[in-house]
Amino acid sequence: MRLVAILLFLATMAGCATVAPEHRAILADPTMQFDVDAKHEAGMRHAIDNREGSMGGSGVQGGGCGCN
Amino acid sequence: MQLAPRAAVIAVLVAAAVLAVAGPARAQVLQLDTSHSVFYESPTKTHMFVYSPTADITASPWTWIDIHAGWEADVVSGASVATKAGSVYGQSHTPDVVTTASVHDFRNVGRGEIEIKGNTGTSLLAGYSYGTENDYRSNSLHVSARTDAFQHNTQFQLAYARNFDEVCDRVQDTTNLNQPTTWQPLENSQGCFTSTAGRTTHDISVDTYEASWAQSWTPVMETQLTYSAQLVDGFQSDPYRGVIIGEGIKAQEHVPNDRAREAVTGRLAYYLRSLKGALRLMVRGYHDTWAIDSGAVELEAEKSLGENVRIMARGRLYRQGGAVFWSDDYTGGAPPLGPRGAYWTGDRELSPFWSFLGGLRIVWTIIPEHKRLLGFIQSFKLAGSGSVEDFSYDQFTLAGIPISNAWEYLATVSLNLGF
Repeated sequence: MRLVAILLFLATMAGCATVAPEHRAILADPTMQFDVDAKHEAGMRHAIDNREGSMGGSGVQGGGCGCN
Repeated sequence: MQLAPRAAVIAVLVAAAVLAVAGPARAQVLQLDTSHSVFYESPTKTHMFVYSPTADITASPWTWIDIHAGWEADVVSGASVATKAGSVYGQSHTPDVVTTASVHDFRNVGRGEIEIKGNTGTSLLAGYSYGTENDYRSNSLHVSARTDAFQHNTQFQLAYARNFDEVCDRVQDTTNLNQPTTWQPLENSQGCFTSTAGRTTHDISVDTYEASWAQSWTPVMETQLTYSAQLVDGFQSDPYRGVIIGEGIKAQEHVPNDRAREAVTGRLAYYLRSLKGALRLMVRGYHDTWAIDSGAVELEAEKSLGENVRIMARGRLYRQGGAVFWSDDYTGGAPPLGPRGAYWTGDRELSPFWSFLGGLRIVWTIIPEHKRLLGFIQSFKLAGSGSVEDFSYDQFTLAGIPISNAWEYLATVSLNLGF
């Protein structure tokens, strides 16, 4: 509950840290995007997911056994 | 290659719908993606080789809607660990660990998605995918919603997916259904998902939840915080794998049916003007009800070379502890001959280990401003990457023989065209 409160507080405070539209050019650069090449990276993420005992942080989709 | 009938029908229907509604072109209305990955694993005598092609089409007939259809496959060949035995058993026996565990599988997934987009960065997405393997079926529904706030400096996203999966198994001795020590591994996938005697299926339901918050803090720094959770209920073993649980006793892998998993992922991107590139850091912590705790740290450095080329170098360090019931040797537990504990598994993915990944990627993008490439292509992106991962297992052995030279190699090329 405390964690949720902290996150809500940070999200609210985020409004004080806005970057004006005219200053967002670098933020729009492809090197600053977390998922701009997500389709290219999907194969590697799929392999990692099948070789580790953990998950998370890369979307909710997925399927298949990966038993081998 | 032949698509599984149901997946093929879904893919064709969705693609036809995409093309039908695309209609007359206004700006960029169509995007095609294809990627091809090869994976090779040298350790554990498995020589696992996987080729994974994908094809995707996205149509944007109007600015407020995207319609997407896709297909992906895994063509798998190699060997898998068929019998898990530990060092105690390996001292007096020579169990056949991998040589008879040939794997030839063909995983197909067809999927479709519709995304409705608002003017202020708000969007709603819904999709469905259907996947087949020789021994596995997957039906998955997923939805997500995202919105922007504070002049697009803040983005929130919620996502949910529900899988209705089935895995093939052999019919076990009905007189001993409550005796997992008598269950035997599935011999092969012949007869799976048919009315063949001796074959049955087990249900697996998977609920996955994710919430993320992305924030631009300065003109050169942004972060993303993601919480992921997953509830898995059903048969989660490898049906082909047997585990030596006592002197001369081999039983089918047997792990708990319920698993709750959660992870928190933080990401940061910071632009270095002097390098004309960005550093991206990812840190993830994970915990589940099988007592697996793990941490991952990933650092990427990407730099633009001129207007059209980006190069990226990546390093990833991963560490996990083992499941509470995991052991390299399940013999010698409860008297007189085992098994040790209520559950047993041969999954090295549930054992404690370290891994380190290094990789490179290059992306070449052309987006002409005033004319189209070849008269009809609005955008072009070609990417290639390669990575190498080294695993160091603390406890996992092949009948007592430590794993050495545990390397995996992955290479991908992809092409994206916009029309």
